[in-house]
Amino acid sequence: MSSIEEFRARALAWLEKNAKPFDEAAEYDLEGSSVPLEESKRFQKALWEAGFAGITWPREYGGQGLGPEELIAFNQEAADFDLPVGPFVIGLGMPGPTILELGTEAQKKRYLPPLLRGDEIWCQLFSEPSGGSDVASLQTTARRTGNGWVINGQKVWTSGAQWSDFGTIIARTDPTVPKHQGITMFIVDMHHPGVTVRPLVVATGQAPFNEVFFDNVEVPTDAVVGEVNQGWGAAVVMLRNERVTIGTGTRARSNPLGFDSLLELARARELETDTAVRRRLAMLYARESSLTAYGRVLHEETTAGAEIGARGSAAKLAGAELALWAADLAQDIIGSDIALGGADVERVITAIVAAPGGATAGGTNEIQRNIIGERVLGLAKDPGVDRNTPFNQLKLSR
Amino acid sequence: MSLIFTDDQKSLAQTVRRFVAQRTPLPKVREVIGSDQAYDPEVWAQLAGELGLAGLTIPEEYGGAGATQADLSAALRELGAGLVPSPLLACLLAAGTLLALDDETVRQELLPQIAEGGLVATLAVSEPGDRRWIPAQPVTSAAHPDGRITLSGMKAAVLNGAEADVLLVQARGPQGTRIYLVQRSAAGLTITRDEVVDPTRSSATVTFDSTPARLVAGDAAAALDHVADLANLAIAAEQSGAMLACLTMTNEYARIRYAFGQPIGAYQGVKHKLADMYNLWALSDAALREAARAADEEPAKLGVSAAAARALTSPGYLTSAKNTMLLHGGIGFTWEHDAHFFYKNAIASNVLAGDADYQLDRLADKLGV
Repeated sequence: MSSIEEFRARALAWLEKNAKPFDEAAEYDLEGSSVPLEESKRFQKALWEAGFAGITWPREYGGQGLGPEELIAFNQEAADFDLPVGPFVIGLGMPGPTILELGTEAQKKRYLPPLLRGDEIWCQLFSEPSGGSDVASLQTTARRTGNGWVINGQKVWTSGAQWSDFGTIIARTDPTVPKHQGITMFIVDMHHPGVTVRPLVVATGQAPFNEVFFDNVEVPTDAVVGEVNQGWGAAVVMLRNERVTIGTGTRARSNPLGFDSLLELARARELETDTAVRRRLAMLYARESSLTAYGRVLHEETTAGAEIGARGSAAKLAGAELALWAADLAQDIIGSDIALGGADVERVITAIVAAPGGATAGGTNEIQRNIIGERVLGLAKDPGVDRNTPFNQLKLSR
Repeated sequence: MSLIFTDDQKSLAQTVRRFVAQRTPLPKVREVIGSDQAYDPEVWAQLAGELGLAGLTIPEEYGGAGATQADLSAALRELGAGLVPSPLLACLLAAGTLLALDDETVRQELLPQIAEGGLVATLAVSEPGDRRWIPAQPVTSAAHPDGRITLSGMKAAVLNGAEADVLLVQARGPQGTRIYLVQRSAAGLTITRDEVVDPTRSSATVTFDSTPARLVAGDAAAALDHVADLANLAIAAEQSGAMLACLTMTNEYARIRYAFGQPIGAYQGVKHKLADMYNLWALSDAALREAARAADEEPAKLGVSAAAARALTSPGYLTSAKNTMLLHGGIGFTWEHDAHFFYKNAIASNVLAGDADYQLDRLADKLGV
């Protein structure tokens, strides 16, 4: 057996002993988590102790120092299990890799091991109420003081802020230069008394996100990630990681709008032999499996040393479009009963209502199309009339 | 095995791409289309001989190269991108049929000739009035009086029927539906080349009137079911290549064509359509890679994955070819521009070896829905 196959076998054995298979009927609370926070922390620690956390991260920062092949093998085996690691997904997928890439030695030593061990939870603080798609027009400020910086402003759509210990925030540090040039990324302590977290209730009635208010929150000089006024570049690195995570992260078996789920729904209504429904289910399967294959292509290219660049946006757009399309199919399968709801369709209806949210989170479909057009196809940039204007002379939403 | 190209596949694709650019670029394809030939025999001889594409997936024991389906699809993408007229697809499906059947004598006789490009073989399954590519109960019948076999009936949309040296014909005989071999020189055989929408692909209507034929031993239904997968795989590869050609052509135009003081690609009305074309190509090409992988290492999944790939490449190509015409504006609607050739090819290849609904029904069947 190759070392990869040994690793895979060890991962599967561990998962079978320590993790639960997906339970369709599991009760998810309003924050979208199926287990208490303490249980998530215990599980993440156990995962790390068994050698399955930070698989590709260097050993000196608590990682396993292995290659992408091991990571892919673990993810493939883990796809059949419901790992209660929700609170850690953001930290491990976005701030973690960004600190790994841009952080100082001291930052990496201080922050990465506790994240992998499940001791500390992270969030990322980018979006603001005044500009969703236009993230770079952010208005939160960081003002230099004698021994650090003071942050003031508001962030929104922050997943996991309610249980986070730290966050990566981008704030305006120089309003006299064009908007992309005066931004800095900081690590902020979410337990600072000037930080206020309020749940943001969305269309489904759940509160998977938060609004976060910063009122004279001091951070030290060494909280800067990368260079002062170079925060936009750091944010682009992080958003790119986010899109790969979102686009290819759908676990078909747990997805209420996935092929397996909608086939079951059609069978329960004796519609699976209806020609039109049957064809749409077949198309759902085709689209779903093509997205899985595309994710695999991107992973393999990364493994082979190729840059996937902005193609994470293609995966993210495809995933969002697929969910919206499947939501239409689900409604047609349920038919007029949909207005009445009911226990057997509750999860599906929640997913139908949530589908437009997926097409917005991590950048709208329109923004993804701009990114694909400009950074994958090399088309001319959007006119961007504000590109060369100092930030403090721009017209902004307030 | 992986989904991304191996070094050998990259180099094969590059060789075929260079061949297409040098020997059969679109201006040359126009010349062929304007003539009464279905394809350029010299180009075909080189495709089959020098590039070895006719025998690429034929096992070495029958004179082929014994390469994988993934190798073949790397080459087919390039031919699809260049809309290269050739009887390659017809030969691939005929060879695939012989390999899936169980007649060693016929294999020994025909496959080496097909592999070297010396013999054009094609499969005749569709019948007039039946929308399915493979009729469950063909009307074309075989009579076996005193061991002398003859066929009677009609087959439609036979790929390169007018150019083929031999035909493999699905017909109902005394022991059920079987495959029969008919020589081009046989008596009672009438072949009429079809007037087609897509001038890059030749097809014919073939009638049999007590035409002498030879039974090819083996399970016809199982063989044709497998060949339907191979057809999906091959057509999806051509379509994927053609989609990328449409995307590349339109993307280039959107960079150099100016309107209102900017390249038109700067406008979201154009940019977003191109982004959607990119996604259609990227996702359906990934599905094709998965299907080729299944063909080579997980045959149990071939039926599902090949139908899934085809269910995406067919409509994806149609949309991309249509957008290629639309985004080029007026010039895209002229005969001078190549866009209409892709559009016509997309319209015809959408229904080749089974239309969109046929593929979805087939996929649902294979999925056990």
